[in-house]
Amino acid sequence: MSIILQLLVNGIIAGAIYSLVASGFSLIYSTNKFIHFAHGAVIAFSAYVLYYLFSVLELNFVLAVILSIVFASFLGYVMNLLVYKQLRKKHASYVILLIASVGILMLLQSLILILFGADIKTIGLIKITKGLQFWGVFITPLQILIVFLSLILLAGFYFFMKKSKFGKAMRAVSDNRDVAEIVGISSEKVYSWSFIIGSAIAGVAAILIGLEQNLTPTMGTSLMIKGFAAAIIGGIGSTYGAVLGAFLLGIVENFGIGYLPSGYKDAIAFIILFIFLLIRPQGILGIKRRS
Amino acid sequence: MEVYFIHLGILIGIYLILALSLQLALGYTGLINLGHIGFFAIGAYTSALLTLNGFSFLFAFLASGFIAMLSAIILLIPTNKLKGDYLALATLSFTFVVYALALNWNSLTHGPIGLPGIPKPYLFGIHFSSNLSFLILTVIITLASYLIIKRIIDSPFGRVLEATRDNELSTRILGKNTYLIKLYAFGLSAVFAGFSGSLYAHYITYIDPSSFTLMQLIPILTIVIIGGIASLRGTIMATIILILLPETFRFIGFSSSIVGPMRDIIYALLLIIVLLYKPKGFYGNVELE
Repeated sequence: MSIILQLLVNGIIAGAIYSLVASGFSLIYSTNKFIHFAHGAVIAFSAYVLYYLFSVLELNFVLAVILSIVFASFLGYVMNLLVYKQLRKKHASYVILLIASVGILMLLQSLILILFGADIKTIGLIKITKGLQFWGVFITPLQILIVFLSLILLAGFYFFMKKSKFGKAMRAVSDNRDVAEIVGISSEKVYSWSFIIGSAIAGVAAILIGLEQNLTPTMGTSLMIKGFAAAIIGGIGSTYGAVLGAFLLGIVENFGIGYLPSGYKDAIAFIILFIFLLIRPQGILGIKRRS
Repeated sequence: MEVYFIHLGILIGIYLILALSLQLALGYTGLINLGHIGFFAIGAYTSALLTLNGFSFLFAFLASGFIAMLSAIILLIPTNKLKGDYLALATLSFTFVVYALALNWNSLTHGPIGLPGIPKPYLFGIHFSSNLSFLILTVIITLASYLIIKRIIDSPFGRVLEATRDNELSTRILGKNTYLIKLYAFGLSAVFAGFSGSLYAHYITYIDPSSFTLMQLIPILTIVIIGGIASLRGTIMATIILILLPETFRFIGFSSSIVGPMRDIIYALLLIIVLLYKPKGFYGNVELE
C-alpha cells in the first residue's frame, strides 16, 4: 500500500512542475497560435542562470531567484521581439514560426554547452535530507514547497486570466485576433506580454527543478515535451486542461517507472501522448473542432 | 589529406540522402517532420544489429529502410488528420524517445556503450573495407536516392504531393485521398533516412546514442531551409556548403569540445537569419503555408 501511495505522491510532485511548464506553454500557444519549442530552452537557461548566480557568484538566494525569473521573462521577450515579431511582420505562416523556434531552441542549447560545459551541475542549496515520513510515504520539505508554490502560482495565474483587464485582453486575442483588434486591443502587445508572463512561469519552473534535480543542457527539451504532452492530454488552449493533463502525466509516469527502468520515463510520456492523439486529439477538456 | 577529403565526401553523401529525404516530406509535401534523426537512428541500429548477428549487408540495408518506414507510418497515423502542429510535436518527441530507447534498452542496444565493430559492407562479392571503396558505394547509393526522389517529384504523384502541400482541401475535392498520399510521402522519406542511417553505421563502424540526439536535426533542417523549400538543386548546394563550412574551424584551431556547439550555433543562427530575410531559401520556389 505505501508503495502505491509513494508513487502517487511522486506523481503529484512531478505533475506540479509539469503544470507550470504546460501552463506557460499553453498561454503562449493560445495567443500566438504556434508551438514555441524554445520554451524548453528558456527553462534550461534560467536554471543555469540560477546556478551561476547562486553557486558560482554566491549571491543571496532570494536575489538570485528573482534575477533568474527576470532573466527568463526577458529571454522570452527578446525572442519575440527579435525573431517572432519580425516574422509576423512579414506575414510568415505558423510553420515558419515553428521552425524558427526549433532554431532558437538549438541555439540556446548550444550556448549553454559552450558557457557551462556538458557536465552535470548541482545548485546544492538544500542538503540531502532523509525527508519527512507520513503514513509510510517519504517527502522532503522542498517537495512540499514545490507543490504548494505551484498551486499558489497556478491559482494566481487563473485569477489573472479571468479577472484582470489584461487577462481578458489575452483571452480575446486568443479567441479572435481581428475582432480584438477592432475593439482596440493591440495584438502585438498581447503577444509580447504572453511571452513575458509565460516565460516568467517557465523561470519559476526552472528554479523548482533546479533545486530538486541536477542540471543538464538538454533538460529543457525533455521538460518541454512533457509540458506539451500535458497540454495536449488536457486539451490544448485550455489552461485548466493543461494543469489537469500535467498531474495526470506526472502520476502515470511515476507509476510507470515504479515498474519499468527509470530511463523509459520519456517514452511513457510519449506513449500517453500517442494514445491521446489517436483516440482523443482534442484532449480531455478540449472542444472538438474541424480543422 | 586525401583520407580527409574522402571522409568529407562520404559525410556529404550520407547527409545528402538525409536532407533530400527530408525535403521530400517537408518541402514537397509540407509535412512538418522534426523526427528525421529518429528514422536515421532506427536505420543505423537496425542495420548494425542485423549485421552483427550474421545477416548480410544487403538484407540489413533494406531492413533499415523498411523498419524506418514502418515507424514513420505508425507515427503519422494518429496525427494525419490533425493540424501540422501535432505532427511537429509528435515527431520531435519521437526523436527524443528513440534516443531514450537507444540509451536504456541495454539488452538490445548496449545503452551508452553503443555497438562497436559493425562490419564494413560486403556486397556482390566486393568487400567495401577501404574508405575509397566506401566512398564509391556512398556515391552510388546517394545518386540512386537522388534519381529516385527526383523521379518521384517529377511524376504526376509528385504534383499531387505539391498540391497537397499548397491546398489540401482543393486536392481532396479533385478526388485525391490526401491522407494516403501524405502517408506514402512520409513513409518514403523515412525509407531514405533509414538507408542513410545504415550507411552511417557501416562507415563509422561504431554507433552510440550520442550520435542521434535532437541536436543532429539542426544541420539537415538548416540545409533544407537554406537550400530552399522544394528545390533539390538548392538542397545539394546547401549540403555541400554546410558540411564543409564547420571544417574550416578545425584549421583555425578551435578545440574539439568547442567545435561541435560552435557548429550548431552557426547552423541555428543561419537557419533563423534565412527564415527572417530569405524565407524561400536560395533556390526555393515556394513558402510553407
